[in-house]
Formats: sequence, structure tokens, C-alpha cells
Amino acid sequence: MGILNPTKPPCSSLFSTHFLKPTLLLNSKIVRLKPQIHTLYTTTNNNRSRLSVTIITCGKLKTSKEIKNKDKKASGKIILSDSAPPVVSEESGGGGGGGNGEKVPVKTGTGALGLLKRLPRKVLAVLSNLPLAIGEMFAIAVLMALGTLIDQGEAPQFYFQKFPEENPFLGFFTWKWVLTLGFDHMYSSPVFLGMLALLGVSLMACTYTTQIPLAKVARRWNYLHSADAIRKQEFSDNLPRASVQDLGVILMGAGYEVFLKGPSLYAFKGLAGRFSPIGVHLAMLLIMAGATLSATGSFRGSVTVPQGLNFVVGDVLGPSGFLSTPTEAFNTEVHVNKFYMDYYDGGDIKQFHTDLSLFDLNGKEVMRKTISVNDPLRYGGITVYQTDWSISALQGMLTLLMSREYQCLLVIYNPSSFMIKKGNLLGVRRPNSKLPIDIDGMTIIIEDAIGSSGLELKTDPGVPVVYAGFGALMLTTCLSYLSHSQIWALQDGTAVTVGGKTNRAKGEFQYEINLLLDKVPEIVESSLPKQSDVASG
Amino acid sequence: MIFLTLEHILTHISFSVVSIVIIIHFLTLLVNEFVGLYDSSEKGMLTTFFCLTGLLITRWIYSGHLPISDLYESLIFLSWIFSIIHMVPYFKKHKNYLSTITAPSTFFTQGFATWGLLTDMNQSKILVPALQSQWLIMHVSMMVSGYAALLCGSLLSAALLVITFRKVIRIVGKNNNLLNDSFPVDEIQYMMEKRNILKNTFFTSSRNYYRFQLIQQLDHWGFRILSIGFLFLTIGILSGAVWANEAWGSYWNWDPKETWAFITWTIFAIYFHTRTNKNLEGLNSAIVASIGFLIIWICYFGVNLLGIGLHSYGSFTLIS
Repeated sequence: MGILNPTKPPCSSLFSTHFLKPTLLLNSKIVRLKPQIHTLYTTTNNNRSRLSVTIITCGKLKTSKEIKNKDKKASGKIILSDSAPPVVSEESGGGGGGGNGEKVPVKTGTGALGLLKRLPRKVLAVLSNLPLAIGEMFAIAVLMALGTLIDQGEAPQFYFQKFPEENPFLGFFTWKWVLTLGFDHMYSSPVFLGMLALLGVSLMACTYTTQIPLAKVARRWNYLHSADAIRKQEFSDNLPRASVQDLGVILMGAGYEVFLKGPSLYAFKGLAGRFSPIGVHLAMLLIMAGATLSATGSFRGSVTVPQGLNFVVGDVLGPSGFLSTPTEAFNTEVHVNKFYMDYYDGGDIKQFHTDLSLFDLNGKEVMRKTISVNDPLRYGGITVYQTDWSISALQGMLTLLMSREYQCLLVIYNPSSFMIKKGNLLGVRRPNSKLPIDIDGMTIIIEDAIGSSGLELKTDPGVPVVYAGFGALMLTTCLSYLSHSQIWALQDGTAVTVGGKTNRAKGEFQYEINLLLDKVPEIVESSLPKQSDVASG
Repeated sequence: MIFLTLEHILTHISFSVVSIVIIIHFLTLLVNEFVGLYDSSEKGMLTTFFCLTGLLITRWIYSGHLPISDLYESLIFLSWIFSIIHMVPYFKKHKNYLSTITAPSTFFTQGFATWGLLTDMNQSKILVPALQSQWLIMHVSMMVSGYAALLCGSLLSAALLVITFRKVIRIVGKNNNLLNDSFPVDEIQYMMEKRNILKNTFFTSSRNYYRFQLIQQLDHWGFRILSIGFLFLTIGILSGAVWANEAWGSYWNWDPKETWAFITWTIFAIYFHTRTNKNLEGLNSAIVASIGFLIIWICYFGVNLLGIGLHSYGSFTLIS
């Protein structure tokens, strides 16, 4: 305390300063001030009423904390009232909504109209039930895990073999289960989609009935008027010989929003941390909506085009849902100018490239781009991806290879080399190696491989929505790391009772508050008699 | 060649230093807590951190891409993240229980990377076409950081469970048969921490109070580190989705690895939801987090070992 509190003299001088124009403040009920304040206690009259008035000064500040925090721009504001409230208000609320005030108010309707109103409310209550939501998430996790364990998209025969009725997996799991529940296409099965939809509805219900009211309560700043209520908080401390105004200044320096009303203080920080879970839920809903749009409104298709040939976009794309509607761009003709690969020195493929030209109905080139994996072409809502490849011809003595006479077998071994067989293996060559292969006295050189480019085309109206959801989810998850801390304090005679709570960083909060409370200056003895007298009077 | 030698040297230094740190931890466990030994173990971790950093940088320079493109590299990266997590509380000057988790974790991941995966796997490979993207750095580093933080957090939760359920703890003798596993090591150290706390206080009789306090601390730190991990995991999954939309033609393909990452995400989402409810807080959330521990390993490792799906970059021959 001693080290952190080197400015007792300025503090004491505060209390001896004179009272400055109180009428100024009386005009406005509540004044929002800049953080520079002076606190003045006056003991002018015999009735010894204690006034706590704050006066804005533009002059120099004298409290130690202010000097310390001078460089920092304190963002907080203090709200003051000019009236002098009782030191301890006998409020019967027992905490006045600080600790227990976060209950959702439930209004009950009356009459037939009420019944109508009550039914959805009951449904909402059921849906926003937390254990239900947890159950849904768990079920979805289990279904997804099952989806990775059971091979997806195979023919029914496959499942007859894999999950036979004679020897059921785990004693009951047979192909009947797989096929009736649609687990052979898990991620589009009604069970899974239904579960997701249920979770979505739960999300909405929870956001509406629980989160928003909670946040509304949290936003309201409320004072606690009894020391008991403050002591009931997760963290509480008692500062003898301190003033709540000093505490307010210190809290402001630490980035808190501070509100003062008579002897009561309320401060909070990190309100975004309280709101962000709502944002997370909304972002999830946005992603779900986008995914639904993707599933119902997109077109997809893939095509393998040899170098030099054309195709029309609309012929390749097939609709995936009932909302899929073709656009103008579907008439675009795509010409594959060139397909080629890059190689590493070791012969491995580095990258695939396809040079594409797009022509509109009039035969005019509207776009030209060389696409590769990770670098698709986008035109009029259509995206063209490089996904596959094949070899359509080998330049060189290919005709000979294929001819019956020689009965050679060309095997495409992998994209970077070719095996040539005639009975036994004759050789393996890479297309760029230019090394000859000897077949029955004939020398063959593969000069180039003419490839077919495997392209995948899609239109997906859901992508912008999903991306918006992604952005929102990232942001709100980051904000969720903030913790919403609230501090209440009450001047109780010369002592200040401080209590606080936070919703996430409980350990750090305690540490931080202890540090801050150590900075609160102790009021020196000389000014004490007056003070204590005031309090008792 | 010089890079390879350098890499070998760095691997060996860092691994032996971690081993020494582990031995020191055992010594402090069996004898008493020497402040000097504790300090030296912290310095050892610092050394490990620098060695691992050097290792990663060396690999980066000679392979020309960020060294997180296969399992070996990602394991080294994981142990690097563990050592970072270890350093943070050390520099912040307040000692907490994380260090007892992170040191063995670094040891085990590194040991596994250097011994378990044999020598042919740690040869730096070329990048396949699908991996040549700016997203690689963001996606993989975020995922691995997320795994590391989540693993730490879930181990803390597991420790919480163990402490809650075990009434009497006899340190030596009981855990001898389990020493090979990483779990008991952490447990033992927790017990030791607890013992030290007990010894250093006046109220040796009020055992339960300190036990309670320890449990609360574990709960809180577990929650904090899991929050960070969850954040990283979210960013990792989402950046992966954006990348997939560039490379594979769709932002979500229900690829096994993707699906398991989503399962992990769901499990930890459940964890955070259990914490919002007063009735479920504490033990229940710890159970969920411990389940999460297994899920992370399935996601990180199991799917790779099966070699299925689009993420199987170990046995990769074809495009995408």
C-alpha cells in the first residue's frame, strides 16, 4: 500500500479545498463528465450532511492516480448525481439485481389470447432448454462420426456384405439400419438434416428467450445499495479509509466504464464479451442459412476436355436443388487452349495449368485465364476449378504404339511417367525426359503428352452468405474471449466495500482487482476525524 | 547437406534437453522442490524452444515452404507450440499448473515425431499442387495451435477429474506401472504440487480446502486455455473452408478430417455450454473436455493413419 500510494498529501489537500459553485451541477440532473474530477467533501454546516459532489476542472489534477494515468486516455465516464443519497440505503431487494437480477422475466398471458400466446412460449421454453441443445450437439457429433466410419455412397450390395444380418455389428447393427436411416449417405440423410434443423431452431429459441434478455440486463448498469449484497459477489474486499471516487478514477485508468451515484459505484469492462455469444449464435444461423442456400440453389458439374476443344457451360452444369435457376452466363462457351503441367527437378508434378478462354453467344472472347489448382476462374457466378487430368494422346510415335502390329500396352502409371509394356515391361519414361524406348528394334521418343484437363464447374449462391457467417463467427469467437467484469463499490463511512464478478477470466480478474485496489490511496489521519464524524452523523 | 546436419543437431539438442527437463521434474517430484532445479528446468525449456524454432526455420529455408506440410513437421510444430504455451506463464511471472502439462507434452510429441515415425517420413517432401497456397500457413498453423491449446486444456480437465475422484494419493508405488503414459506423469506432478502447497501452509489439517482450491484453479485455467484453443480451432476450420472453396470446389466436402475437426469443435462447444449452466459446471464440463482429448487425437492422428479422404497428404500420388 505504501509504495503504491505516495501521494497522501495531495489527497488530504483535496479535502480542504473549498467548495466550488455547486449550482452549476444542480441544473443538470445527471452530467456525463470527462474523467478529470475533483472530489470535495464539505463539512460546512452543523448538520454535517455529507455531500459528494464532483466538479469539473480544467486545471491540474492532484490525485496520484491521475498523474499515473495521465498519458493514458481514460475512456470511462463518470455519472454523478448532485443529490446526497443516504450512505447506506435500506433497500430490501437484497442485491437489487446484481447477482440474481439476471432472470428472464416471464409474463403470463390471460384469457384465450393468452393461451394462444402461451403455446409458442412453451415450445420456445422447451427448445431453448440447455440440456436439449447439448443433446442435439452430441447427437450431431455422433452422427458425423458414424458418417466417417460407415463408407458413404456405396451400392446397397456393399452394405449387405459389410453389415450382414447373420453377424450384426455390436449385436444389432445390420444393413437394414444403414439403409432405412439413410446412413449410406449420412450428410444428406433426413436424420442428420433433421437434427441440424432442430439445432438451428434451438439456436434461435435460445438466442431469443435467454441470451437477448440476459444481455439486456447486463447492459443496464445498476448500483448495489447494500454492503451485504456487494459482499456476496464472487470477489469482495473492504478498504478502510478510502474513498469511492478515488476507486472510480483508478478503475477508469484500468479501462473500466465507471458510474458513480452518491456513495455507490458501478463499473464494468468488456461488455462485448457479454454480447458476443449472441453474435456466435447468429453467425452459426447465418452459416446454416448459407449452407441451405448452397444445397438448394447451386449447380455443379465436371467435364474432361482434351486440349483444344470446347464445351458450353450450361451443358455441364446440373442443378442440385429446386431453387437452382440458370443464368445468362450458362450460354458461355469455354475453350481449352492448353493444358500443361509444371515439374519439380526430381520429376514430380508441381502444378497443373489449363489455359481457358470464355466466349459469349456472339463468339466474342470475354475472358481468358490460366487456371491451376488453388487458382480457379470466376465468371458471372460460375467458378471453374482445375481438379483432374488425363492423357488423351502422346505426341511422338504414339500411333505405332497403339497399332495392333506391335501390340504394345501403354500404361499411364501416374501423371509424371508412363510405362510401356509388351509382354514384359519395356520401360518407364517421363514425358519431359525425351529418353528413347526400344521396342523391337524401334526407337520411340515420347515428345509430349497431350492432356485432357479435368474441370469442375459450379455456381453457388450460398457462398457470400456463408462467408459472411464465417467472418462474423471468427469475430464473435474472438470477442467471446473477453470477459465482462463488473465492479460495485459502496462508501460505508470511511471504508469502501468493493465487490465484483466476471464471467470468464476469474483468476486474472482477482489478480487485476487486487492490484488496482492496492493503488487506492489511503486517506490520512488528519482528515479522518471529520470524515468519520460525517459518516456517523 | 549443411542444413540436414544442422537439423540433426538441433533435433538432438532439443530432445535431450527436454529429457533432462523431464528428469528434473521427476527429481523435484521424488525429493523436494528445489528452487534452483525448477529454475534450470525453465531454462531448459527455453533452450528447447530456441532449438525447435531453429529446427523449423532450417527446414523452412531448405524446403522453401512453411514446414507444416506433413505429419512429422506438424508434430514438430505441435511441440513447438507446446513450448510456447509453456513459456507464456513463465514470462508473465505467475506460476501456474500449465507447465506441468506442457513440458511432458513437448517431450512426448517430439519423442513421437523423431522416433515413432521412423526416418523415411521426416525427409522433407515437395508440396503437392493442392497445398501450394497462401492458406496453408494460416490453416495449418491455426489448426495445430488449436490442437495444442485444446490438448493442454483437456489434460488439465483430466487432472481435475483425477484429483476429484481420488481420495488418498500415494505418490510413489501406485503409479509405477503407468509411468509410460503421459497422463500419470502429469497426475503425479499435480499431486506433488498439491503436496508442496500443503507443506508450505499452516493449515495442514485443512486438506480439503486446498484440494478445493486446486480444483478451482485447474477448472479456471483449463477453461481459459480451452477458450484460446477453441478460438484457434474456429479460425483454422473456417480458413480451411475458404481454402477448400479455392482448391477443391466446395467449402465443405464432408471429408473425414474435416468432419472430425467439426466433431472436435462440437465437443468443445458442448464443453462451453455445460459451463454456462451452474448445475453442469465443474465435473461435467471436465468430463466433456476429457472426451475432447480423445477426439482431438482421433482427428489429428487417427484420420491420417487411416489415410482416407482428401487430407491424406502422407500417401499422396494424385492431384487434389
